[in-house]
Amino acid sequence: MSDLTPVAILALAAVGAVAVACLETLVAGLRPAPIGATRQALAGLREPISHPRTYDSWLFHLAPGLLLVAALSALAMVPWAPGFRGIELETGAILFPAALAYVTPAVFMAGWGGGSPLAVIGGFRFIALMLGYAMPIAMVATAVAAPVGSLRPAAIVDLQGTTVPMALAQPYSLALWVPAVMAVALLPPFDVATARGELGGGAFERYTGLEAALIALARRVLLLAVAGMTAALFLSGWHGPWLPDWLWMAVKTAAVATLMLYAGRRMPRLEIERLLTLAWKVAVPGAIAAIVLAGGTTLLFYV
Amino acid sequence: MSDLTTALVFWPAGVLMLVTALYVFITSSMARAGLLLLAALALEGLLFLALASEFLGVLMLLMMSAEMVIMVFFMVMFMPDPGGLMGMDMVHDKRRSAGAAVVVGLLLAVVAVLTDWPAQVLPPDAPDVRAIGFEVMGRSMFSFLFAGMAILFTMVGGIMVAKQGGRYGVQAPAGEVR
Amino acid sequence: MISLPVVLVFAAVLFGIGLYGVLGQTNAVMVIMGVELMLGAAMLNVVGFLRFAAQDSTSGAFFVLILLTLMALEAAIGFGLVISTFRNRRTAEVDDLTDLSG
Repeated sequence: MSDLTPVAILALAAVGAVAVACLETLVAGLRPAPIGATRQALAGLREPISHPRTYDSWLFHLAPGLLLVAALSALAMVPWAPGFRGIELETGAILFPAALAYVTPAVFMAGWGGGSPLAVIGGFRFIALMLGYAMPIAMVATAVAAPVGSLRPAAIVDLQGTTVPMALAQPYSLALWVPAVMAVALLPPFDVATARGELGGGAFERYTGLEAALIALARRVLLLAVAGMTAALFLSGWHGPWLPDWLWMAVKTAAVATLMLYAGRRMPRLEIERLLTLAWKVAVPGAIAAIVLAGGTTLLFYV
Repeated sequence: MSDLTTALVFWPAGVLMLVTALYVFITSSMARAGLLLLAALALEGLLFLALASEFLGVLMLLMMSAEMVIMVFFMVMFMPDPGGLMGMDMVHDKRRSAGAAVVVGLLLAVVAVLTDWPAQVLPPDAPDVRAIGFEVMGRSMFSFLFAGMAILFTMVGGIMVAKQGGRYGVQAPAGEVR
Repeated sequence: MISLPVVLVFAAVLFGIGLYGVLGQTNAVMVIMGVELMLGAAMLNVVGFLRFAAQDSTSGAFFVLILLTLMALEAAIGFGLVISTFRNRRTAEVDDLTDLSG
């Protein structure tokens, strides 16, 4: 890791946010306009901090910062290319769920601080949802790290380069991972916090001005981080026949992000009771079973 | 981590941890109390990272966020004034408990400072994740098994304690959701 | 200059603050928060010893893992008891739970 890595990650977050915005426009069926999106993002960042009448102004004003810090920390864990592996730590596959876990307090602070009833409901619903879905993320990351013998995401990518991608070796892990990270990234059909059409503006209802722009930026960085980590952990990252490393990673990340956004537009939002039932009765036992199965397949095939 | 980075992380995080921990019991807003506790324990996780225990620090950061939002949940459920609008003072025996806390803290601090710790100037070489894994699955497997069983018993027992009507349940009236 | 006594003093102060919460607060949930702080102080102690006195001790790291598990378990049972108490007596204040005293 060189000294320029944090700067590179920030630049990647900025460019990636605009790219995700263009992907969203594309999935919606409209023509993407990157220059327009960049101009709008820069204009949003120049707006003043508004001071609406909030219930708890400390929490209200701290929430966008915490959301952005969580999103950037998650983005820093993703390995993009052999030469640019983000902030490489020995426990990267555990720090990624830890960074994502701080989205929960951030959304709660946004909802509770804002104070309008729908915002508070959105915040509490998100806590209820994430209690169930935070565990499968960490457990599936452990299951995927089991054959590798290391928690470094780059090591997991390297193993997939020599053997099959994890999507083929552990399809059950992928099936549990994708809904869980979509729930964290506030994506439909799991977006109980910002349920458009059901909860007004949801947990982020009271934000305008600079903080709304920061929240929009943080949500797009979250989607980028989540899609990138899915591509790294399950689709063998930068390994591929003809294209250079970083281009393969970009293609895979874009494909995963497009699929997630498309699923959101196609599937109706599930009710919170059903989502919680799925989380606690299916996802958590399934994640434990995934760890056991991963251990078994490691002993059979990888050792 | 270099000495300068370690000191830059350790001192602010340590002092901020103590300040937020104290404010947990001073503030009257329950959501703030829960989130201040999250801040205190997350800063403690940062302290672990600064003290070269990478895995333990990351675990602390991971677990504390989920635990503390659960705590905020429960506080808003069970506190008489969750928003803190009335500024209630929820302390009994304020002087005696504060006195006991100060006495105990001072006693421990004095013991820590005055003891003649053996002077070891070894470079920080904390066990990495692989070593901890081998330890947990090898030598400490017995304790790990007991911890696992304790978790299972706590899960079942906690639900039994919290359930309406205890073990045998209470027949809900028609239409009501228990 | 970070050394073992510095870390132990931090842990001692944190322990004192937790003790203030446990002894002083009237609501049961706040008492649980105080216990969490006290266990956190114990963990900080162990990590300090790991760093300055026993660098390659994996059993020390395992002890911290057990303490972390204990934090979660104690909070879980504590919240279950708070729910049960609230259901039966409509109060979660420890001052009102005086059946066994005197």
